[in-house]
Amino acid sequence: MKEPVKSIGIENRKQTLSFSQIRRCPEFGVILAFLVLLAIFSIFSSKFLTLRNITGILTIVSELGVMTIGVAFLMIAGEFDLSVSSLYAFSGFLFVTLANKYNSPLAFVITLAIAAFIGFCNGTITLRARIPSFIATLGMQLLLRGSLLAVTGGESVSYKSDAIMPTLLTRFIGFGFRPSHIWFIALTLIFSIILTNTRYGNWVFATGGNREVARAMGVNTNKVKVTNFMLSALMASLSGCIVISRFNLANASFGTGMELEAIASAVIGGTFLTGGYGTIIGVFFGALLMGMMRTGLVMIGAPAYWYQTFVGAILIIAATINLKLRHLEM
Amino acid sequence: MQQVSLLAKMVDIEKNFGAVQALKKVNLEIRPGEILGLLGDNGAGKSTLVKILAGVFPPDRGEIFFEGKQVSFSSPKVARILGIETVHQALSLVDVMSISRNFFLGREPTKKIGPIHLLDRKKMNGECQRVVTGLGVRVMSPNEFVSILSGGERQAICIGRAMHFKVKLLILDEPLAALSVRETREVLRQVEKVRESGVSVIFITHNVYHVYPVAERFVMLDRGIKIGEVYKKEASPEDIIEIIATGKMS
Repeated sequence: MKEPVKSIGIENRKQTLSFSQIRRCPEFGVILAFLVLLAIFSIFSSKFLTLRNITGILTIVSELGVMTIGVAFLMIAGEFDLSVSSLYAFSGFLFVTLANKYNSPLAFVITLAIAAFIGFCNGTITLRARIPSFIATLGMQLLLRGSLLAVTGGESVSYKSDAIMPTLLTRFIGFGFRPSHIWFIALTLIFSIILTNTRYGNWVFATGGNREVARAMGVNTNKVKVTNFMLSALMASLSGCIVISRFNLANASFGTGMELEAIASAVIGGTFLTGGYGTIIGVFFGALLMGMMRTGLVMIGAPAYWYQTFVGAILIIAATINLKLRHLEM
Repeated sequence: MQQVSLLAKMVDIEKNFGAVQALKKVNLEIRPGEILGLLGDNGAGKSTLVKILAGVFPPDRGEIFFEGKQVSFSSPKVARILGIETVHQALSLVDVMSISRNFFLGREPTKKIGPIHLLDRKKMNGECQRVVTGLGVRVMSPNEFVSILSGGERQAICIGRAMHFKVKLLILDEPLAALSVRETREVLRQVEKVRESGVSVIFITHNVYHVYPVAERFVMLDRGIKIGEVYKKEASPEDIIEIIATGKMS
């Protein structure tokens, strides 16, 4: 009587384990999708796989990707940040204004510090007022964007200062490559190591996975969340400074809707909307996929408007697969 | 004299949740190396009482002593450092994390590479595998997700974890809820082992038959009031059920 029961148990476990293994490599799906799209675009457009095009894609991807890393890192801890798009425009504006007045390194540091403070406010409001971060940061998004539009009156400001930060952030370094590409790759690696190989990363997973358990196990979940809100804001701010250094121009309407693109990239990259799961490498490919689609669709002759349609479809598919895998897991 | 020989003591603990008075002047003593059965119906305040002891939230009034010293816990972390750990069916493991990551949550071992502290994942996996196998839980890898484990395996891992980190007071909050008969027996055997190693245990349940075989002393709560305290030799399981059902010691 005893044996058959046992063996059934083990049989079941083996089945779930294979899903578990896929789950532990959540980059798998997005990398596969990335390769498929890469192949399609390369076949249908002879100009797609050229150095010029690839570096062009990388430039857009890096700016979105830096923001997405922050957004995803926070999502893994179980919170949203919708204010990143406004922070992006706000930071760019602040950076240009301060740089024109003083110098660019100082402007950069002050901008990041203020962004971190805004992130701190996002976190504190979310935790103290106990409202969902979705609402708290939506409020912050409108608040920042509105103030920015009101103060600037919609006028653009051009960058007229030294070349130090633009050189470090985004000026060409040869063959079409820019420092922002290196920033994106380096930040991907750094955040990936923090997430998977440090105590803090373990706390981030636990906080997003089950906040009560994390707290009961001695993790200061509030501190983790506020820190991640600050990191998300910092990354958005860095992204804003990069873009402004590339355009030499700041406008209050920059980055509108970009927060959703960042969240979409994170989800496509395998991050759970519910928190507790995700990888930064997945996010890297998620952002890459988004950027590649934007250029690729135009190059194979589809009207640019179709971009959003494809993003929408892929997002729904990615979220569905995530959820299905999770249910199989449970 | 009495004070010193106690491991933990809670004096006149009161706690309100909004208009609901969850605990009214409750006293609780825990001696070294004993298993204390904490009994009561649903909503009696059992969990609230031990959550205060574990630092999940502070009491509104009352004092807590641990190893003779007055303590006040601002977070579970503080209680945990002193050696108080809770095993709770729903509150002890993160489903979407691996077994070894759960095992070391909040106490992760690190190794130094230059100025950076990185997780010692080799040590985490190795130690976790050793302990888990020693508990009789058959897992293919400590990297497996907790969500594939059965209720009994989860309890076993939680208790094993507490023992591995040498806790002094182990709080088991309804450890047998939703367990099969065989798993129940396994967990009870494990609780006995915990006692043999000199660790005190608070065993919370609303089923006296679960705790009667292993505990020496029983405390009964009803709607936030301590209604009774008996030694095993003084009362049968039926007597204890009677006290819980009627709400008073006869």
